[in-house]
Amino acid sequence: MALNPDGGRIFDHRLDNGLRVLFEPMPWLPTLSTTLMLPFGSATDPTGLEGSATVLHDWIQRGAGALDSRAHSDALEALGVRRGGSAGRETASLGASFLADELDQVLPLVSSMVSEPRLDEAEFAPARELAEEELRSLADAPTQRLFDALLAHFLDGGAGRSPYGTEPGLAALTPEALRADAVRRIGPRGAILALAGGADWDAVLAAVERAFAGWSGDSLPLPEARLRPADRHHVMADSAQTQIGLAFPAPAPADPDVYAYDLALHVLSGSMGARLFTEVREKRGLVYSVGAYYRALHGFGYTLGYAGTTPERADETLQVLLAEIRRLSEGVEADELERARVGTLSAVVMQGESSSARAGRLASDALLRGRVRTLAEIRSAVEKVDVHTLNDYLAAHPFPDPTVVTLGPKPLVEVAA
Amino acid sequence: MSRAGDVAAPAALRFDRAVLANGLTVIGEFNRYAVSVAGGYFVRTGARDEADEVAGVSHFLEHMLFKGTDRRTAADINRSFDELGAQYNAFTSEERTVYYGAVLPERLPALLDLLSDMMRPALRQEDFDVEKNVILEEIAMYEDRPNFRVFELAGRRFWNGHPLGNSVLGGADSIRALKREQMLAYFERRYAPSNLTLAVAGNYDWDEVVATAEGLTRGWQAFDVERELPLPQPAHGQTATQDDALKRVHVAAYAPGLAAADERRYPAAILANVLGDDSGSRLFWALVDRGLADSAGLGHEASDGTGAFVGYLSCAPERAPEVLEVYRRVLVEAQDAPPDAQEWERAQRKLATSLTLRAETPLGRLVSLGASYQTLGRYQSVQDVVSAVMGSTVADGHALLAERPFDRLYLHTLGPGAAPEERSPSS
Repeated sequence: MALNPDGGRIFDHRLDNGLRVLFEPMPWLPTLSTTLMLPFGSATDPTGLEGSATVLHDWIQRGAGALDSRAHSDALEALGVRRGGSAGRETASLGASFLADELDQVLPLVSSMVSEPRLDEAEFAPARELAEEELRSLADAPTQRLFDALLAHFLDGGAGRSPYGTEPGLAALTPEALRADAVRRIGPRGAILALAGGADWDAVLAAVERAFAGWSGDSLPLPEARLRPADRHHVMADSAQTQIGLAFPAPAPADPDVYAYDLALHVLSGSMGARLFTEVREKRGLVYSVGAYYRALHGFGYTLGYAGTTPERADETLQVLLAEIRRLSEGVEADELERARVGTLSAVVMQGESSSARAGRLASDALLRGRVRTLAEIRSAVEKVDVHTLNDYLAAHPFPDPTVVTLGPKPLVEVAA
Repeated sequence: MSRAGDVAAPAALRFDRAVLANGLTVIGEFNRYAVSVAGGYFVRTGARDEADEVAGVSHFLEHMLFKGTDRRTAADINRSFDELGAQYNAFTSEERTVYYGAVLPERLPALLDLLSDMMRPALRQEDFDVEKNVILEEIAMYEDRPNFRVFELAGRRFWNGHPLGNSVLGGADSIRALKREQMLAYFERRYAPSNLTLAVAGNYDWDEVVATAEGLTRGWQAFDVERELPLPQPAHGQTATQDDALKRVHVAAYAPGLAAADERRYPAAILANVLGDDSGSRLFWALVDRGLADSAGLGHEASDGTGAFVGYLSCAPERAPEVLEVYRRVLVEAQDAPPDAQEWERAQRKLATSLTLRAETPLGRLVSLGASYQTLGRYQSVQDVVSAVMGSTVADGHALLAERPFDRLYLHTLGPGAAPEERSPSS
């Protein structure tokens, strides 16, 4: 796969302070994207302070080093930096995309947010206030509410907590508690800095060393995800559509079976020609949106299913959704597998054309699998799956009973309120 | 460090164009560094080209183009896209309907065959009846998204009879009442070869593209298509829709802006960025940074013949009066305290980065390539657009503000409880 004229080389290096640096050259691009992945999220929020990762992630972006919040933001924007990032269940990220020539200017502004955040008292209240507003805004976002409720019923322990936090958790936060949390959770050991774009490794490494070598500290290990028993639950909501969500465990990201599993899931829901779209939307016209998606936490994989439909069609929609998942265990046809394979491989190549997608994949590979895969490795693993091994795998691993959570104006027959 | 910018200098790109005998324009932007290629049909038709009795037909028709042709069933179309490993989709706006896909280069002829065949759909009654349910589900889905619904409510009022106020989805009633024959008549009026642009971006063989397109569209009949471009008389003031099922107040903001062919669209985009970008803008600092609103932004939408500044705001109901007042004040006061050189340059540079990033992938590049060619009738490279943005001066921004567009601000609120201070709409 001639994606990278450099031979698809990925540089993987650890600084003395423990920060892991990953870089993939894309020398034809004028742009460079970076993702700094920090191993703190709602899963490791202190009990009673749910939402602290989200507030902390905001607070560290409100001034660093010699620059107050406004000056720091202006400095990044004067370099034309497009910022991204969010606080999730296991990780918080800081993203930046910019013209590659600005690397030396941009990196110190990124590193200062984690190595010397000001955590000014005056910026604490607005950071918390914004988190409270975002939590309250979920009331008008039924799909987001559904997934938060679904994961709370599916995952036990910290991973089941929503990154949005809770009203009491946010109210209980204090600047002192959050500063202590920053010391406990933000450090280079366990963090990953991934870069992709138009630069060469020597220049990248030198710039990274200059910007990040002075950062020190530890972070918390990620907890193992634990499951609750399969469950069915309905959330009453005054909405036009009933939201249907389901979740069940899947192979972990580093499990060699994950390629076979992913191809099977592609047959189920990888495209508009896949089984779910065909059976639920094309043949029956039950929904606009339906799908099943593989998701991963550190050392743990799971599958989410989703459909949104008007209440009078919700029971039938859930039945068809569950029946198609059961039918997948009976195996796939050879031509279905071939289409899934072609789709998977072209998607990998095409996502590789975007610097931010590339940097994101490097970081998530390192986090979830412990090591970064080249495109050649992915291709070879995907090509190795034949219809017999896939069908043997599916027969030997029937899909577990899903946790089903629905949200809407009336409970489904099979899902008690 | 290597100057990557030199590697991807304009020499790496080439623009191609051909007009076929039936009137179809085919354009391409070749990029020798691309590993994939994107192709798509841009149809100059959308909600603004619909009569009231067929509201939503452009978007419903977009769905129907995936439901089969004389040569293919709906299942055949979906399977063909899958066999090509295509990333593909379609969208409909007030302005246009676009069908596109991205594939590895050797599969481009097959992708063009599929997309071209789709442009002459069978529109079978049984497919129409099933797909109508899907459209009604899509309408119900957006009913649950007040951040979307508020624009349906506000756009119609702001545009005040101008067709840009038409709803892309249409209403549940207009969709239920729509007949296949009405859709067919609309199709036969709008999908002329001269009203379509076939665009490709990325790694392709131009001679092969032209020959393929010629072969596939040879039977297409030429006819004339017109679009009405009435002068808008936009409303200003403030109106409200009460919905007690909601927990937040959602606000759509509009002000008069510039047309897509107006050179001042660049300073307008920079100005909107200064005022309402999602980071570092005046609205961000006044409302989001302080936690008064979870969202408060502004953009500029340049359309065929006219344009508008368009913004969104969401906050707690009890704060809505204060937040609305701040939102309004930031925009109105900018007219007397216009951006300084540093503010302007930050916005220019952010926009330039965004434009460059979007062009990294052929699929990202295709959409702006096709839309800008169709609107302007000429090619613009990414570098052309970046130069136009970087060449727009702060004085250009001041000139726009001197026309005081935000004195004519229109706000529509959607939320629970009695409406905040109501100002009657006017034109």
